[in-house]
Amino acid sequence: MPDPRQPPSEPLPMQSASTKLSIGDLNVRFGSVVALKDVSLDIADGEFVCILGASGCGKSTLFNVVSGLLKATSGKIVLDGQDVSNRPGQVGYMLQKDLMLPWRTVLGNITLAASLTRGATAKDRDEAAELASRYGLGDFLNHYPHALSGGMRQRVAMMRTIAAGRQVMLLDEPFGALDAQTRLGMQQWLLQLWRDLKRTILFVTHDVDEAIYLADRIVVMTPRPGRIADILTVDLPRPRPLEVLTTDTFVGLKRQIMQHLYH
Amino acid sequence: MNTRFGAAAGPFLIWVVAMVLILVAWQLLVWATGLPPYVIPPPALAFSTLLDNWPRLSVLTGQTLYETAIGYLLGAVIGFLLALAMGQIRVVQRLVMPALIISQAVPIVAIAAPLVIIFGFGITPKLIIVAWIVFFPVVVNVLDGLASVDRDMLNLARLMGGGSLRTFAIVKLPACIGPLFSGLKIGATYAVTGAVIGEWTASSKQGLGTYLLTANAQMNTAGVYAAMLLLTVIGVGSFLLVFGLEVLMTPWRSRSTAPAWAQWKPSQPAS
Repeated sequence: MPDPRQPPSEPLPMQSASTKLSIGDLNVRFGSVVALKDVSLDIADGEFVCILGASGCGKSTLFNVVSGLLKATSGKIVLDGQDVSNRPGQVGYMLQKDLMLPWRTVLGNITLAASLTRGATAKDRDEAAELASRYGLGDFLNHYPHALSGGMRQRVAMMRTIAAGRQVMLLDEPFGALDAQTRLGMQQWLLQLWRDLKRTILFVTHDVDEAIYLADRIVVMTPRPGRIADILTVDLPRPRPLEVLTTDTFVGLKRQIMQHLYH
Repeated sequence: MNTRFGAAAGPFLIWVVAMVLILVAWQLLVWATGLPPYVIPPPALAFSTLLDNWPRLSVLTGQTLYETAIGYLLGAVIGFLLALAMGQIRVVQRLVMPALIISQAVPIVAIAAPLVIIFGFGITPKLIIVAWIVFFPVVVNVLDGLASVDRDMLNLARLMGGGSLRTFAIVKLPACIGPLFSGLKIGATYAVTGAVIGEWTASSKQGLGTYLLTANAQMNTAGVYAAMLLLTVIGVGSFLLVFGLEVLMTPWRSRSTAPAWAQWKPSQPAS
């Protein structure tokens, strides 16, 4: 396994200046099952891309390859012009499971990456506390995760991902386990974070409304074999008030996507 | 078991009530059966025997307590380290697990005799027997704790660039603390039994176990009961001690916020 702390090697040519992450002709096979077929995608710096698809379309496989947890059968992952295929730890990663360490406080969980790599310093903790306070967790820094609601725990998990400092963040159905009301609040919260912090986000979901509300572009994937069926640009102005959920553009996009998913 | 700290005052009261009930039942049994004191001594007689013989009994209690405590610590430490080794290295687990189960299937009384033959009448066989009893629940529970760590959590730690040593210390080791205490609590009540069995087999130094045998042989039933009371106190006391330690060491189980010493406070900017 390559050391994730090593800087990636050999810059590659032919990347456009604004391309942050490039997924190049990815194929993943598990025995005779083709999990991903010819998946190619370029993501611009600061872009919010949603990957949308029913279960079994290879969304999570794609994330596991991009994060470096899973080796692709063929294809490569290029980050900032450098090949990072099979190098874990180049991008941030967040799951539907909040994966809190129950014995660490909210702040202790947020500073986990620092603790795991070099030991968290007072400066790390102060910065994390400042960040968390800015996004509504200020009263809970010394709480244990079990004392928080599911939504709050996902906020902590998001803060932990941000504090890890990676410019590209993979979010795998982070709000999938939350109820509809909480989820909408979380989506708005995430958009605010993304606007402030200017990270590049790849967001997996199977919720069509969520994808349209959040994304600059939506990558629609279909199963057997998992592949990209369509890429749609979401032409909705930002910031997006809740009213966009009922605009013609929104509904039009939704219809288009539904045709791919349930044709 | 209710591990909430706020409810800790409640259990204390329940303990008092439980003990009173046991004494009442004991006294009622004596009255109802009409059996003479050398068959079932009434509680008052057991207690007065205990007090009358306190100078001697206190020394014996000290000896048994000493064997129990040292053996317990030995068993706990060995069990914990063994479980960590087994959890980290699969080969060790495969090799050691059958031996562990066999070790517990052999009746402890049967082990006592060969231990005395090997190690003599001193304290060593007692310590080994106590440790033998204590280490098994510790190993089993700590192994469960290690196995309970979420694979996704380990993946996340890897993606965050966590080295194996730090990941072990930060993600895996704390997951064992709760299960460790489950094992330690089971061991705490059994440990004293081990010490008594050790003393029964052969002993150059008198303890409560040897006293129990002698009192029984002399038809000094009240003395047997007095020793029984003291052994029970050792067992219950050990359990409560471990339980209290557990509450202190696993604050996340009983509190919603970190204890004061673990709380974050903004550090002062350097002047």
